[in-house]
Amino acid sequence: MRAFELFSAKDSRDAVALLAKHSITSKVKVIAGGTDLLADLKFSAHSPNVVVDISRAQELKSILVTDDGLRIGSLVTHSQIMRSPVIQEMFPALVDAAHTIGAVQTRNLGTLGGNLVTAVPSMDSGPTLMALEAIVSIEGTEGRREVPLTDFFLGPRKTVLKADEILAEIIIPKQNLGKPTHFLKFGLRKGQALALVNSAASFWVDWDKHTFVAPRIGLGAVAPKVIRATQAEAFLEGRKITPEVMAEAGLIAATDAKPISDFRASAGYRKNLVAVLTKRALEGAYALAQAKR
Amino acid sequence: MVTVTLTVNGETRTAIVGGETTLLRMLRDNLNLTGSKLGCDVGDCGACTVIVDGKPVNSCLMLAAQAEGRDVETIEGLASMDRVHPIQKAFEECASLQCGFCGPGVIMSAKALLDEIPNPTIPQIRDALGGNLCRCTGYVKMIEAILLASRNMRGEAVQSIR
Amino acid sequence: MDKKPKVAEKDSSVESVLKDPGILRESVASPLVTYPIEVVVPKARQQTPAVGQRATRLDGRLHGLGQTSYIDDMTFPGMLYAKIKRAGVASARIKSIDTSEAEAMPGVMAVLTGKDVPNNAFGPSLKDQPVLALERVFHAGDPVVAVAAVSEQIASEACEKIKIDYELFTPVLDPLESLKLETPGVHAPSANIYQKKFIKKGDIEKGFAMSDHIVESQYRTQMVEHVPLEPHATIAMWDANGRVTIYSTLGRITLGRADIASTLGIPISRIRLVATIVGGNFGGKNEITTEPVLALLSKKTGRPVKSVFTRPDEFIASTTRHPLIMDYKTGVTKDGRIQARKIRLVLDGGAYCSWSETTLSKACILSAGPYNIENIYAEAYVVYTNKTMTGAMRGFGAPQVCFAYESHMDEIATLLKMDPLELRLMNVFHEGSISPTGQKLQSVVVKESLLRAAEKFGWKGKGSGTSGGKLLPKDIIDATTVRV
Repeated sequence: MRAFELFSAKDSRDAVALLAKHSITSKVKVIAGGTDLLADLKFSAHSPNVVVDISRAQELKSILVTDDGLRIGSLVTHSQIMRSPVIQEMFPALVDAAHTIGAVQTRNLGTLGGNLVTAVPSMDSGPTLMALEAIVSIEGTEGRREVPLTDFFLGPRKTVLKADEILAEIIIPKQNLGKPTHFLKFGLRKGQALALVNSAASFWVDWDKHTFVAPRIGLGAVAPKVIRATQAEAFLEGRKITPEVMAEAGLIAATDAKPISDFRASAGYRKNLVAVLTKRALEGAYALAQAKR
Repeated sequence: MVTVTLTVNGETRTAIVGGETTLLRMLRDNLNLTGSKLGCDVGDCGACTVIVDGKPVNSCLMLAAQAEGRDVETIEGLASMDRVHPIQKAFEECASLQCGFCGPGVIMSAKALLDEIPNPTIPQIRDALGGNLCRCTGYVKMIEAILLASRNMRGEAVQSIR
Repeated sequence: MDKKPKVAEKDSSVESVLKDPGILRESVASPLVTYPIEVVVPKARQQTPAVGQRATRLDGRLHGLGQTSYIDDMTFPGMLYAKIKRAGVASARIKSIDTSEAEAMPGVMAVLTGKDVPNNAFGPSLKDQPVLALERVFHAGDPVVAVAAVSEQIASEACEKIKIDYELFTPVLDPLESLKLETPGVHAPSANIYQKKFIKKGDIEKGFAMSDHIVESQYRTQMVEHVPLEPHATIAMWDANGRVTIYSTLGRITLGRADIASTLGIPISRIRLVATIVGGNFGGKNEITTEPVLALLSKKTGRPVKSVFTRPDEFIASTTRHPLIMDYKTGVTKDGRIQARKIRLVLDGGAYCSWSETTLSKACILSAGPYNIENIYAEAYVVYTNKTMTGAMRGFGAPQVCFAYESHMDEIATLLKMDPLELRLMNVFHEGSISPTGQKLQSVVVKESLLRAAEKFGWKGKGSGTSGGKLLPKDIIDATTVRV
């Protein structure tokens, strides 16, 4: 790996100041867990002159339930998400998603924030957070600003983060706390696998009418960024919950998806996977809703 | 250049390395602890697995500077003058290693698992080894060895060697 | 006992020693190596035979302790690190190489190109591989320039500063295209078909005439990389008597010495080749790679030189398993007896011959499968393409043809509505069977093994355990011939 100058930030304010200072004169990258950045830099032609290490910022490592909702610090690792009693209780789908990432060693280093900021369309943490209408809190020189996750991604490996900003927290809004959600990933292996398709489904149940309330579906690896299956959501809203409706929603979600063909799978195969995985994610969320009732 | 001071296998060690130096390179090149191996350098094969603050990590994906002040355990720290670690003994008895290159990484992953879950199920063992690739053995004898080690360690009520 | 002893680092500066003279009294232990000195005596080999006894592997203890010394674990005083700049293009003529910027970099001790190699051609059979590509590039992994520097990082950066001007050619990538006479020769003026083998037994036309059904299928297997956990590694150093010592992951050291001797133009007696514990070979470490280059770098710099493949290097610059395109045509009677089998194998021979001749040979000899067939015609060709070198890998051609003839047998069984096991039992070798190349076989237990396995698996008969898939012929040639 090419040489670079390393600056360790004490906290998020320090990190932002370092970024603001060095990004004027140098090519700067941020390192948190390093699982994406270093893997990328090892055999890369493009390399930064400066790397700012934010991994010591303790205030970005908490998981808290507040008045706004569930606030997850961007430096929380995938392992920590899996072990958090709060997340296990409220959002087992986030635990499932974290578990599909890489392997034990990478989960112990990789952070939720890093996964989002690297912004590959096949990311495993994005779809569930999308389905839960998450908001990201970005810290810059002027302080914090909030952006809905749907607006955070611009394209493959591109987000709205400016050169002097870091992703600080991920917030799941209060109204979605405990919302039944299920996540499924399809990869060519059970571990250390890139997703061919990711699908997360989230909805409340109106138990009197037995209909879908506020259904949300997040899809990954089937577009230049993680997307919501808006047509499928519109179809489900207010509709009676039956296996046939769920299957139909899966087929509609497949039309929301715009996958490409590559050496891992064809677009047609991916569309088929979207239909099946979405149906199963809906079934899983429904099972969770029934269990919690 | 950055000065990194950390604990490795119970001892305080210091090295002066470039900012881009990974923990793996510092262990191998500066501290002469060549037990952890470089198999891919991008966190896929797990041959570089060490335990940092109790958690197994790919040392090729951690900057040396990020290990400042931390507690690192490598393969060299498992055995003592008196005896090999029960996991190492079990691997020997079960003939779990062939070329041996993946061995240190697998054994460290196994140690981290048994430190947390003294009586793991086979699915838990598979999950724990999911980040360690082996091209020779097919993993079956490693799983047997870990089950054997776990039995021995619980039977003996073994304290940590160091 | 002091629980956390402070360890004096071997590069403690004079300043720190002057500041804290206590350092001089501390133990220098780098690394702290522990030796549980307990000799393990294998329980086997007492008075009774070893078979059936447990025994520990000789290397098991050291592996588990992390004390096995692989080549990348070795260092020598003054050792330099070498990096190889690889072509990155599939087929080209090298117009010019400019190494001046790299040579001027501080820390770069030597730079070599093909013109520095006394005999720039080697190979296990055909000597078609360059040590460093000089005029032509035949695949993206071709080594072109070698740099030795005081650190790996500097050697890598130096490689980036080397400017190579290529005239690109259209690469030949499809082995079936390469088979055609009109396709330009990859190694022109040599032909693309660089080796062939034919096996003829009996008369296949007579055999087909006696058949009730003829089944034709084509099978393809893919290129596979060995991915040994330990990448290829080499260290070279000379002594004042003009002998070079090379530590290498190389498996075939006698052959290696011969190749190194011929490329360096020195007597074989001046080459000491040390093969150490290797971290996986599987056939991929059967021939020399950077050894001659490192020897030359070491000679030029007067220092030991080490080079280790990166994982990407392993994929593009080391040998792989031959992809095969296999055409099978079999004639059977309606009760399942094979009368004739015609086979054509096309091996994708990559950029260089490497172990293709052996692979071709094995594949061809084994292509008919372990079946009693009176009439066989097998033709096998290996062709050059501008792709990664294909060489030895566990099986040497056997796994590929096994996939083909066993899939073929299943398809025949489906066509005849026969139990695939019955079909095999009817045709398989028995004691004294004659192989396609005329060898009388002994100790043949295939039937017994199949029957025992069937019992253990609970094979209940006719299509049992298979997906029960129907044969879907893509083309039906006539009522009796089906191309799958």
